[in-house]
Amino acid sequence: MGVPSPLGFLLSAEPPPRRVGAIVALVAVALSTLIVYPLAHVAPVVSLSVVYVPAVLIVSVAWGAWLGLATAVLSAAALNFFHLPPVRHFTLRHSGDWVALGTFLVVSVVASSVAEVTRARTRDAVERRQEADLAAEMARLLLRADNLAEALPTAAARVAQTLDLSSAAIEMDTVEGDDRRIAFPLREGSNRLGTLLVGAGTSEAKLRRLQERIVPALEALLSAALEREALLGGVVETASLRRADAVKTALLRAVSHDLRSPLTAISAAGEAVGSPAISPEERAEMAAVIQEEAKRLARLVDNLLDLSRLEAGAAEPRSEWTSVEELIRAAVSEVGGGPDAFSLSIDRELPPVSVDPVQMERAFVNVLENARRHSGGHPVSVRARAVRRLAGAPATLSPEARDVGAAPRARTSGDRVIVRVVDRGPGIPPAQLERVFEPFYRAGTVTSGHRGSGLGLAIARGFTEANAGSLHVESLPGQGATFVFELPLEASSAQVVPDEPSTGTAQTAEIPVSSTGGRELPT
Amino acid sequence: MSAREPAEPARPPRVLVVDDEPQIVRALKVVLREAGFEAVPAETGSEALDLAAVRPPDAAIVDLVLPDLDGIALTRTLREWSEMPILVLSAVGEEEQKVRALEAGADDYITKPFGARELVARLNAALRRAARGEEEPRIVVDGLEIDLAARVVRRDGEPVHLTPIEFDLLRVLVRNRGRLMTHRKLLAEVWGAEYVDDIQPLRTHIARLRAKIEPDDDAGAGGVGGPRLIVTDPGVGYRFSE
Repeated sequence: MGVPSPLGFLLSAEPPPRRVGAIVALVAVALSTLIVYPLAHVAPVVSLSVVYVPAVLIVSVAWGAWLGLATAVLSAAALNFFHLPPVRHFTLRHSGDWVALGTFLVVSVVASSVAEVTRARTRDAVERRQEADLAAEMARLLLRADNLAEALPTAAARVAQTLDLSSAAIEMDTVEGDDRRIAFPLREGSNRLGTLLVGAGTSEAKLRRLQERIVPALEALLSAALEREALLGGVVETASLRRADAVKTALLRAVSHDLRSPLTAISAAGEAVGSPAISPEERAEMAAVIQEEAKRLARLVDNLLDLSRLEAGAAEPRSEWTSVEELIRAAVSEVGGGPDAFSLSIDRELPPVSVDPVQMERAFVNVLENARRHSGGHPVSVRARAVRRLAGAPATLSPEARDVGAAPRARTSGDRVIVRVVDRGPGIPPAQLERVFEPFYRAGTVTSGHRGSGLGLAIARGFTEANAGSLHVESLPGQGATFVFELPLEASSAQVVPDEPSTGTAQTAEIPVSSTGGRELPT
Repeated sequence: MSAREPAEPARPPRVLVVDDEPQIVRALKVVLREAGFEAVPAETGSEALDLAAVRPPDAAIVDLVLPDLDGIALTRTLREWSEMPILVLSAVGEEEQKVRALEAGADDYITKPFGARELVARLNAALRRAARGEEEPRIVVDGLEIDLAARVVRRDGEPVHLTPIEFDLLRVLVRNRGRLMTHRKLLAEVWGAEYVDDIQPLRTHIARLRAKIEPDDDAGAGGVGGPRLIVTDPGVGYRFSE
């Protein structure tokens, strides 16, 4: 940057103040007048008007033609007053001197005008170059930005820097100017793209420059940047649609398998029931097959609906104070499987939790069913107890809740009810610990019984998290798996539940006795 | 068509049923007994192999999805030492799986959910085929007379001229009457192992063969009823009807 001339400073985009110009003019004229004294001995005084020309030119170039013209008049007067006879008078002895002074003035005026034009052109060129640089910089900032909104402050700062503005901002909204800021609307055709805001103190010339040259460039760039962002958004959307499509395909395949198996059993058993030759025992058995498989189908349909609700974010829990023990018992009876399928150990004084009972029962049913399926005929143990954080003590879990090969996760801290469902199945390899909660994922091998749909655990976790709880699994291969529910006990629960004196237990200090407290210990 | 005559009428044919869905096995056991079979249930592939080794069954019904080795692997293992008919149960609905099972040596597949009658019919057909053996020089089906030994084909008494390729194709199909022959199997038997992926020429030859041998009323060109003798199993292969 900069003007290639020793006097380049004179051509700066913004001229120095006029006051400075007037002083410079006075000094230059005085200097020129002094220089004429020694020269007057070697040359005719009237021809020495040329000595004043540099002063006129310098002032014209730096401060414009009018101050230049004033300098010329001042120069003529000084030459007349100090050097042309009669000296110390504004009169002239020789009429030829009038001609000489007139010629000097004419030459000065022409020179001033030419200088002024040059000045304007130079300033223009400098500004255009700055603007070209600015445009290139803005294009880089706006068109290559990953996030347009984040690139805007930097772009605005560059505008402010280039035009030497006190402040500048680019907003994507329609913003009205106020007493502190002047607003330039940014449009593409009739579309409002955003607003360029500059400080209220910005000079008229800069405002004109902004309006005429910066704003149009900014509009074009912003429009291109927005279009690019929309296209990128389209790409992202396409990718996510493709993912959703893959999920849908997996769903269709899983559903096709899970629907067909029970249908096959029902169809075959139905045919067998119709046969006249079968024994009453077999007939009863076939009827049981039909009923069980129909139940399985119904459960699959429930699961699919639950899953679609969860995926659509429509599983808004309807929380009410609920007894965890009742939830677990209801889930156990729904899963069925005989009296020895589950062994329950539920803390006598479990406080109620604020959850959606329907959703949490589904979550328990799914986890219990999964555990029973994988337990290889061994009873599944279900243990529930409250964990309280004593005042000032750090949040700790009961010792057995310590991770046993559990994947990292966000742990609920504070007071909570912990329900552990322990099966004695083959366990889950560490790599699959989190995957078992993915829809349609079926881990490892199954020793007996029919496979699940691969939906149950995903739904259980979805519902538990929707109710502010967490569900994770701990397992060492070959040693069974433990699914751990953690449901927060809200601070308010102590107030909501009628306060009754509590005896407390090893794990539970200061637990209010719940409505289910005092029940018989489970089998 | 000749009815199957069990060698020992006193003993019902033993059918190995391999499926890990206990309810399906329970139902099939009754259905098969009613149809005159004795069902031998197995929940896993290894259990099936053990049972088959102890007392070789007369046929096997194998689910494609098993907890240990899958149905395709089980079929392949059984085929190593047994010629018994193997029916594959598929719930997947995917042609590729069926083709792989058939190429592993399965005789036929049946898609879940299926009617018990259909299963029994397919099982009977497979057992008949197994009992029939290879030696059957002269076959008459639906007005078509095929003399494999003399390489002569007659439709309603009129000689039909077949190219050597067409005759070989017909012979392979007829020898495996009722059995679903995959594209690859047909290509390997008629053209040779290096041609197993050229399905298009196979389609062309099947079309020509149908035009020559199918009954005129619903010609091989695909009349209202479709071809009757050479039946297409879309995406899998062809089957010569019994």
